[in-house]
Amino acid sequence: MISAIGNSVEENHMSLVNGRHGIGTLTLFPTAYADKRPCGEIKIPTETLRKKLKVQEPGVTRTTLLALHAFEEALTDCGWTEGQLRTHDTALINATTVGGMCLTDELYQDANKESGGSEYLSSYDCGSIGIYIARRHEIGGIVNTINTACSSSANAIMYGARLIENGFAKRAIVGGTDSLAKFTINGFNSLHILSPEMCTPFDKDRRGLNLGEGAAFLVLEKEEDIHNRKVYARLTGYANTNDAFHPSSISEEGEGPFLSMQQALRAANLSPDKIDCINAHGTGTENNDETESRAMLRLFEKPPAFVSTKSYTGHTLGASGAMEAVYTILNLYKQEIYPSLHFKEAIPSTMLKPITAYQNMRVSHAMSNSFGFGGNCTSLIFSKY
Amino acid sequence: MLYIHRAICISPQQTFGEINIQNLKESVDKLHAIEPKYEAIPPGLLRRMGKAVRIGVGAALPLIKESSALDGIIIGTANGGMEDCIKFLNQIIDYEEGLLTPGNFVQSTSNAIASQIGLMSANKNYNITHVHRGLAFENAVIDAMMFARESPAKKYLLGGVDEISAYNYNIDFLEGSYKKKPQSNATLFQSASPGTIAGEASAMFLVSGKKEDATAALSAILVTQTDNVNAVKNQLKNFLENNLATGEQIDSFVSGENGDNRLVEYYDACERVLADKTTVIRFKHMSGEFPTAPAFALWLASYLINKNEVPAHAVKNAGTPKPFKKILIYNNYKGIQHSFMLVSNA
Repeated sequence: MISAIGNSVEENHMSLVNGRHGIGTLTLFPTAYADKRPCGEIKIPTETLRKKLKVQEPGVTRTTLLALHAFEEALTDCGWTEGQLRTHDTALINATTVGGMCLTDELYQDANKESGGSEYLSSYDCGSIGIYIARRHEIGGIVNTINTACSSSANAIMYGARLIENGFAKRAIVGGTDSLAKFTINGFNSLHILSPEMCTPFDKDRRGLNLGEGAAFLVLEKEEDIHNRKVYARLTGYANTNDAFHPSSISEEGEGPFLSMQQALRAANLSPDKIDCINAHGTGTENNDETESRAMLRLFEKPPAFVSTKSYTGHTLGASGAMEAVYTILNLYKQEIYPSLHFKEAIPSTMLKPITAYQNMRVSHAMSNSFGFGGNCTSLIFSKY
Repeated sequence: MLYIHRAICISPQQTFGEINIQNLKESVDKLHAIEPKYEAIPPGLLRRMGKAVRIGVGAALPLIKESSALDGIIIGTANGGMEDCIKFLNQIIDYEEGLLTPGNFVQSTSNAIASQIGLMSANKNYNITHVHRGLAFENAVIDAMMFARESPAKKYLLGGVDEISAYNYNIDFLEGSYKKKPQSNATLFQSASPGTIAGEASAMFLVSGKKEDATAALSAILVTQTDNVNAVKNQLKNFLENNLATGEQIDSFVSGENGDNRLVEYYDACERVLADKTTVIRFKHMSGEFPTAPAFALWLASYLINKNEVPAHAVKNAGTPKPFKKILIYNNYKGIQHSFMLVSNA
């Protein structure tokens, strides 16, 4: 994985352990909001990434490079052979919301036919990333891209798992990517949900979210195909539901989030009290944190330990579900929980407090929540292996 | 096995309401969908919808009305609300990141169609949007097939939607996807030049894993990414071997040929795999080219099976006339994304 707090899972882990966030002034591209809206930016220029990844073809965007970086780390770690990648039963499921639209100015020129065509003509859509990686690594099976806004990569994980369960694939590499863009900065700003300060998830005085960028990929296989290789965790439950309330906000009682958490528990065959911790969606917006809290209060007699790691990375949109799945898996693999940052006082109507200090903890089952525009809600449950 | 219970399509042809596809509606370069009046959508809401959302919701609503609560909404769309997306982008640049209205931004996300359908039908179940360009609809099909296997009795709305927006047309045009000279859809297949014509449509299906009340069945699908003609041909051979019983044959081949002479070799190679007497039917002169055109092809296949008649303008090779029972759909998007779908009577 790659994010504002590190270029690998190990680096991300160290930042989480040390409570070190990556949110600050935007430096890599010009926008009117660079010093007004802090962002979780990866401080590696696109050209440097391109060279490091040995990408020579024209038209490869930052969103693709971030994905490729994370994909290749996951691939090295899992030890699949090139032969395995080429078979028809290896799937690649990506998720993104921004795709190649990180190139806002180039897209403006091309879409309005103000130039003879840039090198990015076939790189703007969401599918371009998976298509590029599948070609570069000769993936032989199903390749897909999912966009359900901020829950996109949680759904990529769910889809990959179902492909394996239903015999459409034997192994799947699943995840998501998004890079910072003038498009999303202006979009979220026009909705007045970008915080002018560091985001403060679940705090009563929270002022909105910080956008971020990143990518993460996970490798899924059936237990019988693992043969002594490293296993980080089991994916034991998942559910995708819809809030069906409003295009860009969640219903007051958090119906969609409640249902996704409840149905994920049902799929995992676990009672709510078995969940040891939750990596909350926790964007830091007025609407999300209150409704997610209400949903947790409705479902859990006493909500388990929860955090929002968006206080480290910012909200990485299409990548957030996969990134936070990795953090949730680290909770299980390392038996520890990382503090939620910048929290001071609980929301009066819910009085829920996230974990604010690093601690070792017995974690058997952990949940990760992702909710998006369009009411798209997905919850995943991982269990200790 | 994925059973299709009902299929509805808004397209550049008369496919919605009173269906009449015997006569081809002719257009040049861009085949725009014939839009109905959308009486079921409140006017205030309708005004705010981009075209992709409008045709998506328009084709979905009759299915939702007729069915009890659906267990999920599964949409494939490559570009979703592209028009709104660029409208918002133009605001950003033209107003130099000033005070912008969020309407276009919210409508610009690819999941606007699925979520609007969910919102209008108060559907709190599974809701997803597959956006993998020329395989966006096929991945939606795979998703639905998995549900048909996991819980056969559950009913899903499955759909494929894409619009022609001025902007994606410009981008695809600059990329060389369309004919350089004005091209009528009526003579699309006689044009021996690179490029095709643009199209758009929304095709929605009510599907489940139960045969009861089904009008057609989708028994197998294969998707692949390659630019190698031989690889495609071999995939087709394997696909047929794995999915047809001994002695069983394809009676009709629904071909995604689009008048682009760069892609002809792929379609020819697939035709050669099939028996000479196979009926070959083309559809892109009806729908135009767009990433989720296979959704239109699936609608057409289910029409062929149920009406047992094919418009003469769509027939490339009549083969031996016989009832439509086993149809193979092959689509090729821009020479790298390929899909095969096997459709039969239920």
